[in-house]
Amino acid sequence: MNKNLSVIIKKELKRVFTDKRIVFTAFILPALSIALIYSIMGVALGNMIEDREEYIPKAYVRNMPQKFENLISNEPYNDMVDIEKISDDKELENIKEKIKLGEIDILVVFEKNFEEKLKNYENKEKPSIKTFYNSSEDYSSDARFGLFNQLFSRYENMVIGERLGNIEYTSAFNIDIGSEINDLVDEKEATGKGLSFLMPMLISIFLFAGAMGIGMDSIAGEKERGTMATLLVTPLKRETIAFGKIISLSIISIISALSSFIGIIVSFPFSKAVLGGDKDMNLTNLKFGASDLGKLFIIMITLVGIYVGLICLLSIIAKTVKEAGTYITPVYMIVMASSFMNMFSNSDPEMWQFLIPIYGSVVAIKNILMFQLTWTHVLISASVSVVSTIFLIYLIKKMFNNEKVMFG
Amino acid sequence: MIEVKSLRKVYKLSKKQMLKNNTVERKKVAVDNISFVTNKGEIFGLLGPNGAGKTTTLRCISTLIKPTQGEILVDGLNINKQAEEVRKKISFLTNELKLDTHFTPKYTMEYFGSFYGLSKREIEERTEYLFQEFGIDNFAYTKIEELSTGMKQKLSIAVSLIHDPELVIFDEPTNGLDIITARAVMNYLQKLREQGKSVIISTHIMSVASKLCDRIAILIDGKIRANGTVQEILYKTGADDLEDAFFKLYNNVSIGEKI
Repeated sequence: MNKNLSVIIKKELKRVFTDKRIVFTAFILPALSIALIYSIMGVALGNMIEDREEYIPKAYVRNMPQKFENLISNEPYNDMVDIEKISDDKELENIKEKIKLGEIDILVVFEKNFEEKLKNYENKEKPSIKTFYNSSEDYSSDARFGLFNQLFSRYENMVIGERLGNIEYTSAFNIDIGSEINDLVDEKEATGKGLSFLMPMLISIFLFAGAMGIGMDSIAGEKERGTMATLLVTPLKRETIAFGKIISLSIISIISALSSFIGIIVSFPFSKAVLGGDKDMNLTNLKFGASDLGKLFIIMITLVGIYVGLICLLSIIAKTVKEAGTYITPVYMIVMASSFMNMFSNSDPEMWQFLIPIYGSVVAIKNILMFQLTWTHVLISASVSVVSTIFLIYLIKKMFNNEKVMFG
Repeated sequence: MIEVKSLRKVYKLSKKQMLKNNTVERKKVAVDNISFVTNKGEIFGLLGPNGAGKTTTLRCISTLIKPTQGEILVDGLNINKQAEEVRKKISFLTNELKLDTHFTPKYTMEYFGSFYGLSKREIEERTEYLFQEFGIDNFAYTKIEELSTGMKQKLSIAVSLIHDPELVIFDEPTNGLDIITARAVMNYLQKLREQGKSVIISTHIMSVASKLCDRIAILIDGKIRANGTVQEILYKTGADDLEDAFFKLYNNVSIGEKI
């Protein structure tokens, strides 16, 4: 059986890797597309971030107190905002309209006689400031919650300092001053955490997508073309044919996923902000040890087993490639949903999560990237995947021996 | 060589198939209690119209599908219990079996030859012989997708014979072949008979049956209506030729159903 199995595997791999069209569409094109798309996304996101950081907001102010005006006209704020003073309340509605349209970023209205009321603080009458902004406009939102929050805080400290007689008195204690390093972050874990947002989902989807097209053709396509029946009249055990297809498809899935990852790595200088949420992320901080790589390998291999099992089973049940596609597409949606579901979770994984096929593997990959996965987690997740794969193989064998499935 | 004993094959029809066949019956009896034997050094023919049960019978013998009832022995081996052993001794050829067109004839012969436990030398020798026999030698390294239809069909035959089987099962041997290729195939089947092989074919073409077959079983609606040499069948039916004999039997069946 082993000799026949290796003959089938070699033929299946030769079928794929000697066909220039398949090599281009299954391996080269995905890598190129991914490199291009993620690079463009990364550059666009980087430009957007830079643009927001460099933007000078347009602000209109009514009844601006002198001290506030002094603050805003001097370093470091004088270059950070473009201020227009409003002399008439009748202009306010027009300015609010322009804020809605995104033409003006913020309107600040100080109460009349603001500074008078500040001086008479013992009367316990606090003067108020009203701000008008548009939270759906990035520049407006940044102006309100970034720059102007800072300005108001600074202004308030100045006022309290005057009341206490010394601006130094407005600060009751020091936090994190000095040259001692306070952020005890492990750079390796921080980088891994950044990557763990998107990478687990991408790994999962690449593995499935890599097997899907070729798997459907290799089984449903062969049934449709009649080349499967040619194999069935030989002395080959049905199980040998099934295993040959499964093993070769697993190899193809991994190679296809690797080529997609090469696309990601090529795009990395541009796409860091998209993939890891931080454009200054340094990949060299990621130092995977042999144990980490071993865990990743086990989880990925066992996940490939489930994916290939599902694709082979649905392909063998289908009569044509088109029919196989209609069965496999909803499964692909479920795989994607399982991969998305854990994206936004930051809490430590619960043990029960590893008991769910596919989802558990994605959780495991996420935690490997954060260097938090234990060997117990690996054992549970891999065991679930292996048991699921064995069950799928059992069903595939049954289908290969079912004449209605094989011959309609 | 082959002993078919009370073979019965019943298919369960899906609702779609019932509609397609215009029937209210959930079951279709494709082959109904047929028995026959074939011998070495003989070409045995299953003759009948489309839907008579010929292909079903041949698929049962070739172990592709299982009989619902009955027993089939191929050279003493039970097709249900010793399917893999049976497949080592037979070849099954039909237009529905195709070859992967991405590969060359040479590779394809090596690929299938390896499944029969042949050594590399044996595969090479058989390939050389069969390629010469069928005129494929000049195309050994041409991709199958680039071959003509006739050449592809000859290659299919060559591939099915790589292991020099004792029993050759051929479903509609001349179907879709041009006249020259059809003649070449018929000549080769006769050659196999002379070599002492057992050949069983199915056909709906009277001339093929009468030219090629030593003995014939006429199948109509899943049952054998006549079995023997051409002369014996003509004598039994009182017909002048095989076509007449067939239609006499066919009409008897139709009348019997109406009654």
